[in-house]
Amino acid sequence: MHLLRSEGDQFVFEIGKREKRLLLDILKLYPLIPIAHHQVTRSGVGDKMESNQRLLEEALAEQRAGNRKQLDVMLGEEGRFKPVKTSFHLTLNPHQTEWLLQVLNDVRVGSWLRLGQPDEKKAKDINLTPDNARYLVFMEASAYFESVLLSALEK
Amino acid sequence: MAETAEPLVLPDVGHEEKTDSKEDLEPGYLVICWDDPVNLMDYVTHVFQVVFGWAKQKAEFHMLQVHNQGKSILTRESMERAEHYVHQLQKYSLHATMERD
Repeated sequence: MHLLRSEGDQFVFEIGKREKRLLLDILKLYPLIPIAHHQVTRSGVGDKMESNQRLLEEALAEQRAGNRKQLDVMLGEEGRFKPVKTSFHLTLNPHQTEWLLQVLNDVRVGSWLRLGQPDEKKAKDINLTPDNARYLVFMEASAYFESVLLSALEK
Repeated sequence: MAETAEPLVLPDVGHEEKTDSKEDLEPGYLVICWDDPVNLMDYVTHVFQVVFGWAKQKAEFHMLQVHNQGKSILTRESMERAEHYVHQLQKYSLHATMERD
């Protein structure tokens, strides 16, 4: 996948058939991060922080439900993926691109969690099992798509 | 893109049924981003630019601080503003928290 051109406030990406399938497979997983993973603070609990934690969880749950709906609508829109010869043209405006970035990163971080939070700096290897092996692909592929979207936004 | 570099609008912090204490309104909360090995460096820089409206150089400075030192104090705010920023950063799946200064 790469940015083909910017037209007004639209980005047109060219995406191969296999890439498109991979992207859609990734997006089907959203949301993947458990809500409880998000903590508002590392230190004090107390009444106020407990209430803040609840607020954070509610806000994230609402945002995810909205994102999931928006994702289904967006992907189902006619002409979103326009077939051209052996590939497709995916058209997104900057807002949609920004939003897709958030969605992809949720899947990336969620995949990382399912792989046991591997960390090269701490020599913590991937805890690969037959059940979670596919998340390695999703984690790396999400990063790939994120990089393409980030370079488009940078331009 | 200008659209992505603009800071997010802070919410109206007025609440009819809740009286904020002086402590809540004072900038006594630090918004901290913690290192994790999964978020891409370019992504973190981008999120800082979007959420705080920072120039790329400042966003990169904080991203590198997170990467090299394990954390970066991004801003010092009142409780409600700190909460707002933590929500925004977590929407992007960054590991961000608010801590009492």
